[in-house]
Amino acid sequence: MDTLPIAMFEILSFGAIVVLVVLGLGIIASMMGIFNFAQGEFVLLGAYVTYLVHSVGLPVPLGMLAAPVVVGALGFILEKLVVRRFYAAPIVAMLGTYALGLIIREAVRGLTGGLYLSVPEPISGSITIGSLHFAAWRCVIVIITLLVMAASHALLAYTSFGLRVRASLENPSLARASGISTGMIYSLTFAFGAALAGLAGALIVPVFSLFADLGIRFLIQGFVAVMVGGVGSFAGPVAGASVIGTLSAWLPWLMSPVIADVLVFVLAIILIKVRPQGLVSGRGVNR
Amino acid sequence: MSSTGTRTQPPPRVIQAARSPIMASAFTGRKKVLLILELALLIAASIAPIVLPDYITVYATRVLILCLFALSFDLVWGYAGILSLGQSLFFGMAGYGVALLARDFGVGSIFAVLPAGTLIGFVAALLLAGFLLLGRHPSSVVFVSLGTMTGAYAADRLARGSHYLGGQNGIPSIPPMTIGSHELSEGPVFYYLVLAILVLIYLLSRFLLRSQFGLALAGLRENEQRIAFFGYKVQHLKAIIFAVSGAIAGTAGSLYAFHEGFVWPNMLGVVMSTQVVLYVLFGGSGTLIGAIIGTAIVEGLSFWLSDTYRDIWPVILGALLLLVILFRPLGLISLLLGERERVGSFGPNREEKRNAAP
Repeated sequence: MDTLPIAMFEILSFGAIVVLVVLGLGIIASMMGIFNFAQGEFVLLGAYVTYLVHSVGLPVPLGMLAAPVVVGALGFILEKLVVRRFYAAPIVAMLGTYALGLIIREAVRGLTGGLYLSVPEPISGSITIGSLHFAAWRCVIVIITLLVMAASHALLAYTSFGLRVRASLENPSLARASGISTGMIYSLTFAFGAALAGLAGALIVPVFSLFADLGIRFLIQGFVAVMVGGVGSFAGPVAGASVIGTLSAWLPWLMSPVIADVLVFVLAIILIKVRPQGLVSGRGVNR
Repeated sequence: MSSTGTRTQPPPRVIQAARSPIMASAFTGRKKVLLILELALLIAASIAPIVLPDYITVYATRVLILCLFALSFDLVWGYAGILSLGQSLFFGMAGYGVALLARDFGVGSIFAVLPAGTLIGFVAALLLAGFLLLGRHPSSVVFVSLGTMTGAYAADRLARGSHYLGGQNGIPSIPPMTIGSHELSEGPVFYYLVLAILVLIYLLSRFLLRSQFGLALAGLRENEQRIAFFGYKVQHLKAIIFAVSGAIAGTAGSLYAFHEGFVWPNMLGVVMSTQVVLYVLFGGSGTLIGAIIGTAIVEGLSFWLSDTYRDIWPVILGALLLLVILFRPLGLISLLLGERERVGSFGPNREEKRNAAP
């Protein structure tokens, strides 16, 4: 009787996590045409920053605020130093960002000593509605995801920065001719995508705990979600992430978790094969 | 009409020029570097077990098997431009396949298990290629890489969850491979066996890639559309090379299973397939010898350094890889070999034509 709302909430909160992780990946892939293989490691880094702040005795929410800033700054630097050399060759970019990810992942593995480290939830306990209990932190994740989604969309669709980003996406040479510094726009977009991943990592670390391979799982999930949703638009990755997140949370209720996990990916690959342009075709950010 | 008719016939003088030994030696100057390199490596590999202590020979055998595996990835990525991030799927499936044959059916004869492993790799790759590469829409590189990676991830998960396959621990203590009544264990004999297989497959691949088929592959790596306009069935070419590489990965996987004596889920998963990407990028994709050199260097370095610098070794490896990708996109081999030898020369050489032209 009570399992249905609980299940719905589980699905919703896990879907929100996937959306949060995928958003940054999707923005970088859609706006810059680069599949960033280091994105999973940006998530990991966000989680690690939160852990560091927690371990020196400062409150966890402070770490969660610091994580996107630190990871975003790192993304900015990496874009300036490394990633910008790859724009001409998207495939090389995949390999280059993969190498970056490897460095970050192994560095974190060395720093954590390969252990599973846990970070407490800043808001513990549960919210009780009638006879149902919902974990409070998961509710917070859902709310923050919605806020971040809305803010990102607003940033890209309504601000002058967003206009510049879209202009650089649609026609880089005309954008440059109009006086937009496309190089700077790309750096900032990449940093923004990295910061979103950092935030995602910071928010999910109390749920998943910190370990070096945290990023890999989300990387594959994120890529599949972006491809299912469709590269090139804002709505695409979000739609894809919702589908993948819902499936990954819902299928384990029906069958064994291993089979469910595999089935999600197989279904997604078939979907991409049948509909290569993704669920949401078209480019740009819809107002 | 008559003029076009004569133009399609090659002038006989050019053919003669191509066969004249003086002309032929004029354009092999660069090519000799590759040949010398290959021969030097072969000689070094042949005498290695004689000069090296036994425990290093065992390690070297593993490196040779990994070289074979790297070769299979190089064929698809370096030559056909298919970024297969799930090459370990074929490697691991063949490994598990032969391990099950040995465990449950007592089949250990090399003449049964190696063909079986190769066949498993071939069939698995053919099926995956049929799904990923063939079809109405041509598949994007990103889709193929994602699809293969998902395949490896899924296989890894399933193997970990399967009781029959031994779960997390895999299948331990596989009975040794046999030739007739002789049991093959680690050591020089196994080493030379693997070396012979590697050389054989290397030569076969070299022959395949220097043929018309190899030229078409190199063409589709550089510009897929143009090759399609020439009338080649691009997707079929890709599927064929993918299946061939799957077969080679299968051979490597079955050798690996018997050499190590056990198989475990990591052999199937993303860890192993990223490892092989690393080898090939490091050495230089698009040259067969580059894959071999890359594997030898990465494994050799990790043999030395992973003891002393256990924690930071993977970080160093990642940084080296990044540097190679940034500054030497064609890999370390490009320090020695020219761009031209990535493809090889076909037909009468250009210089030769210039000399021979009336």
